[in-house]
Amino acid sequence: MNGYLAYVGRRLGQFLLVVFIGINVAYVITHASPIDPVEQSISAVTSYGNTAPAAIDEMRTSLRELYGLSGTAFEQYVLFWNRIMRADFGPSMSAFPTPVATLVGRALPWTLGLLTVSIVVAWGLGNLLGGLAGYYQNNRGLKLMGVIAMAVHPMPYYVLALLLLILFGFVWPVLPINGGSAMNLPPTLTVEFIVSVLQHAILPALSLILIGIGSWFLGMRSLVSNIVNEDYVIYAELAGVRPWRVLSSYVMRNALVPQMTGLAMSLGGIFNGAVITEKVFGYPGLGSLLVDAVYAGDYGLVLGVTTISIIGVSIGVLAIDLLYPLLDPRVKVS
Amino acid sequence: MVVILRDLFRYSAEFRIGAVLVGLVLLLSALAGLSPYSPQSVYVVPPDAPPSLTYWFGTTSRGQDVFWQVSFAIRNTLLFGCTVALVSRLLALVIGLVSGYKGGWIDRALMSLNDTVIVIPLLPILVLFFFVMRDRMSWLMLALLMGGFGWAYDARLIRSVVMTLRTREFTQTCLFSGMRTQEILLQEHLPYVMPVLVSTTLNNMVWSIGLEVTLSVLGFTDINTPTIGGMIYWANQHAAMVAGIWWWIAFPTIAIIMTFTGLYLIGVAANQYIDPRSQLRGVGGTP
Amino acid sequence: MHARSEPARAVENAEPMLSVRDLRVHYRSSRFGIERDVKAVDDVSFAVRRREIYGLAGESSAGKTTLTKSIAGAVRPPMVFVGGSVDFAFLSGYGGLHRAPPAEVARIRWRHLAYIMQSSMSLLNPVRQLRSTFIDFAYPHIGGSRSQFEQEVVAHLARVQLDPSVLAAYPHQLSGGMRQRAILALATICRPDLLIADEPTSALDVLVQREVLGMIRGIQRETGSSVLLVSHDMGVHALATDRLGIMYAGRLVEEGATPEIFRSPLHPYTRHLISSLPRIGDDAPHEGLESAPPNLADPPSGCRFHPRCPLAREACRRQVPPMQEAAPGRRVACFALETGQRDE
Repeated sequence: MNGYLAYVGRRLGQFLLVVFIGINVAYVITHASPIDPVEQSISAVTSYGNTAPAAIDEMRTSLRELYGLSGTAFEQYVLFWNRIMRADFGPSMSAFPTPVATLVGRALPWTLGLLTVSIVVAWGLGNLLGGLAGYYQNNRGLKLMGVIAMAVHPMPYYVLALLLLILFGFVWPVLPINGGSAMNLPPTLTVEFIVSVLQHAILPALSLILIGIGSWFLGMRSLVSNIVNEDYVIYAELAGVRPWRVLSSYVMRNALVPQMTGLAMSLGGIFNGAVITEKVFGYPGLGSLLVDAVYAGDYGLVLGVTTISIIGVSIGVLAIDLLYPLLDPRVKVS
Repeated sequence: MVVILRDLFRYSAEFRIGAVLVGLVLLLSALAGLSPYSPQSVYVVPPDAPPSLTYWFGTTSRGQDVFWQVSFAIRNTLLFGCTVALVSRLLALVIGLVSGYKGGWIDRALMSLNDTVIVIPLLPILVLFFFVMRDRMSWLMLALLMGGFGWAYDARLIRSVVMTLRTREFTQTCLFSGMRTQEILLQEHLPYVMPVLVSTTLNNMVWSIGLEVTLSVLGFTDINTPTIGGMIYWANQHAAMVAGIWWWIAFPTIAIIMTFTGLYLIGVAANQYIDPRSQLRGVGGTP
Repeated sequence: MHARSEPARAVENAEPMLSVRDLRVHYRSSRFGIERDVKAVDDVSFAVRRREIYGLAGESSAGKTTLTKSIAGAVRPPMVFVGGSVDFAFLSGYGGLHRAPPAEVARIRWRHLAYIMQSSMSLLNPVRQLRSTFIDFAYPHIGGSRSQFEQEVVAHLARVQLDPSVLAAYPHQLSGGMRQRAILALATICRPDLLIADEPTSALDVLVQREVLGMIRGIQRETGSSVLLVSHDMGVHALATDRLGIMYAGRLVEEGATPEIFRSPLHPYTRHLISSLPRIGDDAPHEGLESAPPNLADPPSGCRFHPRCPLAREACRRQVPPMQEAAPGRRVACFALETGQRDE
């Protein structure tokens, strides 16, 4: 148990490191930019009429404060981290005066729900089918699945989302292609609302799942076809251990270990896919929020969503890392 | 080298299909030099014309010939992918070699950095980058940035290869004969690392092109240079789907699917080739 | 070394536990245009009697492992069973385990025939405790309640001097010697009639080797079973086997009672093997064999040893020497000896 605690400590340390570096990168990018967001906002506001110079100066000061851009570079840095600790990203320019934190808070559950469902289904089902395909290599159905997976998996997320959009939006319009839920339903926990949410989630989730399943299937299949040649699997088969037991306890259990690592490493990529998918289907998650924020030139919101994404993905990776030793007893917990 | 390619072509269905796809795409991109129109010019042909004998892929709502646009677009996209692959290969090589060979705290520090880079979701960072740079962002800058993040996975692979090599006898022999670290790494270990490098390059290209297409579709890159994603972006801006101008979106999409699938299949074939060959040599006595 | 206690004595005239006849097993592969046909086991015939430990010796890639795999029914591509037959006292008529119906195979696996594969370091499932492996392998044959089974396992582990706590351990937590003993216990807990052990001691240091070999002999004596012991190490055979078969390049070249083979080896290859064993006080210079080990994809014609044999003659190049009885209980495959020419 001591070993495990030490392991948790190390993983936690790595998590904090990632978050720290990630957020710093975001900070450096925004503050090293040649464009001054305050001047941009001011020119956008003052281009429509005559504003007194005194008023402009006042605007400049208050905007600087809002954006945390007053004071020296060091003071700005400290202020920045101060605010982040309190989850204060300032107000959103495009939805003034709603704080960025609120907007992010509203969008987060949608993305979280979409990602969780897609990942669980794609990883779980993909690994299961891929494992079977690697073990029963002569099964025609599984071989066919392999070919389909190979064809679908290199497709970019955008293309698949677009295809689904065309298919279900124009050719066979049975599923909603926009929004997170029907627009006329209030977001309360009624059955109607939940059903509507599920309906709207089908296409975006399907888009993520189809590509995800393809890649987990292929990875697992190749992993399993190597594992079945491992000494301990051959030995178990030679000893007469029944096939389903060999498959589950000797093959799958060993294959899931690297697949878990793979999941942790690809969380970033899956998140990227979710961003574009949300935009295509108008799904009100972090992805749509980010893209719209860029279009609207909303500095605070962009920074806020970026920070939350980094933290979110890192938490996901941490969770997987902590579960990892439960699967693999060989993890060095020294 | 030629022998390898010929063997691959003859015996691997994946390689054949992949090579054909990539070959077609390369052909299309090479044709860009023959285009009668400059890639940035608009309204040079009648807009919204469907595919015909004069305009093979039709024309866009901005008065551009889709065929020539796709040709430029795929060329730019491929060049971009190659640049990123190059930058990230170099980084992966350096970091993987040093980390695997030196070990100790250098290794731990580099691997910590490595894990960090793998985890950070790149899209928001790139979006943020675009947001602050706006029109000043050049393709080279984007390529450098992506290359700066794309080395992590492969660095780990290279590192594990080097770690096994380090314990082999010939490394000790080199050390005793007075070779310096760089010499050992470059002259002795590099040949073993090359196969890993080659097979990961294709994956890396698929990844970087995918990311670039995503960014361009959203309009987060320099959309005046034609790229596949850029074309789709403009098509969306002109509501091409709704207006029924399907060819504007279809042809770039088909081109990019061909590119991805082709590169992926070649990568699969290359992996198959690298693996069983060495197994085959081990069967049955001394070669 | 061969104490005259009843259960250990090989029963000579009863039906043999294992009989291998004219066995041919090749490796065939065709990939990216390269075709290979490696004649790993080429016309091998021998028998293992009841209650004896039969050793199989020879250098690496002489075909020993291929032989044991085909006997144990582990025939999978690129390995191809080309001809001959393998029959057991408890299962005959099929010519080979891989041809028998699954029901029969399930009946005899582990209960009558147990196999210790080469490379014991990776025979156990790395993500499961040892207990789980015992349950998977042995419980279906022993039955009873789980706790009864566990008691029996613990008792059996004691025979190989393993503490019951190893049941809760994972393979990587055990030392090489402990793993090897655990595998030995695993293979023998159902008291199989025939145990095939392929290099059971090769990764171990000398002291542990002796221990494990002693345990094999002890268990064999106790259960009265037969053992086919494969090793490239002649010292192992000297310690543990009753009879010995020498393999070279996929063929059996000599066979006989172990002490006699060591005392007076007949085949030139056997003589080389025996003479190359280090002996304290032996100062004479040793010569290695000429040229390289044979390429089994393209083996030498006739007797496969002839390129390196000091007694080679024309017949050796043209024909394959058959295994013939040179003395009661002794078989050799060599033309040089038939004509009565010996080097002593």
